[in-house]
Amino acid sequence: MQRIIRRFLLSIKEYILLVLLLIISLSFLSANDNQQVKNLKTFAFGNFAFINSVSSGLANIFSNTDQLIRLKKQNAELMLMVNKLREYGLENNELKNLLDYKKETAHPVIPAVIVSKLVSNVQGNFIINVGRADSVSLGMPVINELGLIGIITDASDNFSVVRTLRSSRLSLAVVDQRSNVSGILDWNGSSLILKNIPTTYDVKIGDRIITSEFSTIFPPSIPVGIVTDKETNISGLLNNVTVEPYVDINSLRNVFVMKVIQSKQIKNLELNLIK
Amino acid sequence: MQLKHFLPILIFIPFAVIQLTIIPFVSIGHISPDLIVIIVVYFTLLYGQIYGTLLGFTLGFLFDLLSGGLIGSAMFAKTLAGFSAGYFYNENKIDQNTKSITFVVIIFVCAVIDSLAYSVLAYSGTGMDVLYLMFELSILPGVYTTLVVFPILIFMTKKV
Repeated sequence: MQRIIRRFLLSIKEYILLVLLLIISLSFLSANDNQQVKNLKTFAFGNFAFINSVSSGLANIFSNTDQLIRLKKQNAELMLMVNKLREYGLENNELKNLLDYKKETAHPVIPAVIVSKLVSNVQGNFIINVGRADSVSLGMPVINELGLIGIITDASDNFSVVRTLRSSRLSLAVVDQRSNVSGILDWNGSSLILKNIPTTYDVKIGDRIITSEFSTIFPPSIPVGIVTDKETNISGLLNNVTVEPYVDINSLRNVFVMKVIQSKQIKNLELNLIK
Repeated sequence: MQLKHFLPILIFIPFAVIQLTIIPFVSIGHISPDLIVIIVVYFTLLYGQIYGTLLGFTLGFLFDLLSGGLIGSAMFAKTLAGFSAGYFYNENKIDQNTKSITFVVIIFVCAVIDSLAYSVLAYSGTGMDVLYLMFELSILPGVYTTLVVFPILIFMTKKV
């Protein structure tokens, strides 16, 4: 009997191995938020990114100039300022009195260069050449002169991982700048979608979408994209709104990390989700 | 014996660097060739299915770690790719499988399986369009990976 069982197990050993390895892979998937796994990941990408940065530097030897980076940094800061002013302009009539209580916030930015990219429509992320040594922390937003790119999810001493808008694992609270309609923006594999917006809500094609004040991971008023399409679902009660991001994430090279982290207290409320 | 185990990992390092630094420049939108799956398939055709499954698992794990991606996703996909490539293993036809057009066909099949598994894992439960998943997220990356194999194949056949 034992021999028969042993023979049977030997005949299917490839399948047993496959199932075992797939189970281990799935367990790792669910353990990504585990601190030990995070430490291992930070150690690995932190060291390997050094090799990538050399290779990436060689690939871009003719295109990388200090002046270009400085100008892009200036552009990014101006973009944030312009957007803030636009926001104030729209709110001016309704919130004249409240504006006096609002604190002016300046967001310093840290210039960074992308050293490696994981080209995938599933988990868009890349590694940049700034890390904890440059005061980068987890949760800091990453932008360029056009708008929001993503968020820092891992940081070693000299390198950080950025999870981009094109990641199925990033959801963000956004608002229509014109009508103040709020929603949660998700990447569905092909486009950014604001799901389940009631058809009675005022969202028009061409509206600017910015990060919301409800967001616990991004500061408010960072431009995200523009409404390009509205699709009503079968019930006719809800719309799925397609948003075209301002930033072309595939062609990025220089980015900026905003030195700001949202309040931990608000974060605990989990209004905004990094899955 | 030891070379059999360490050679793929040694080859993996420069391939991973190229995958993360050079390949983004030649990607068409989000469609890019997968160099890691080429290593997995090649060594599976040399050493068999069990070896290939374990190699896919190991290289997938290393790639997840080094790319800063979600640990487990490439592991899962490349384990399946290695296992699938194992079905084409034939110790009497190793040369034919690795140095002819057959190699290209095997790469295509395994790259599609790899991309499909990778995408399904990330989008399970999101109600993604199956046709989009099959075509844009699986077949197109598979085709691109296959195109990259041609110069490698020509290099390998000329070497002999």
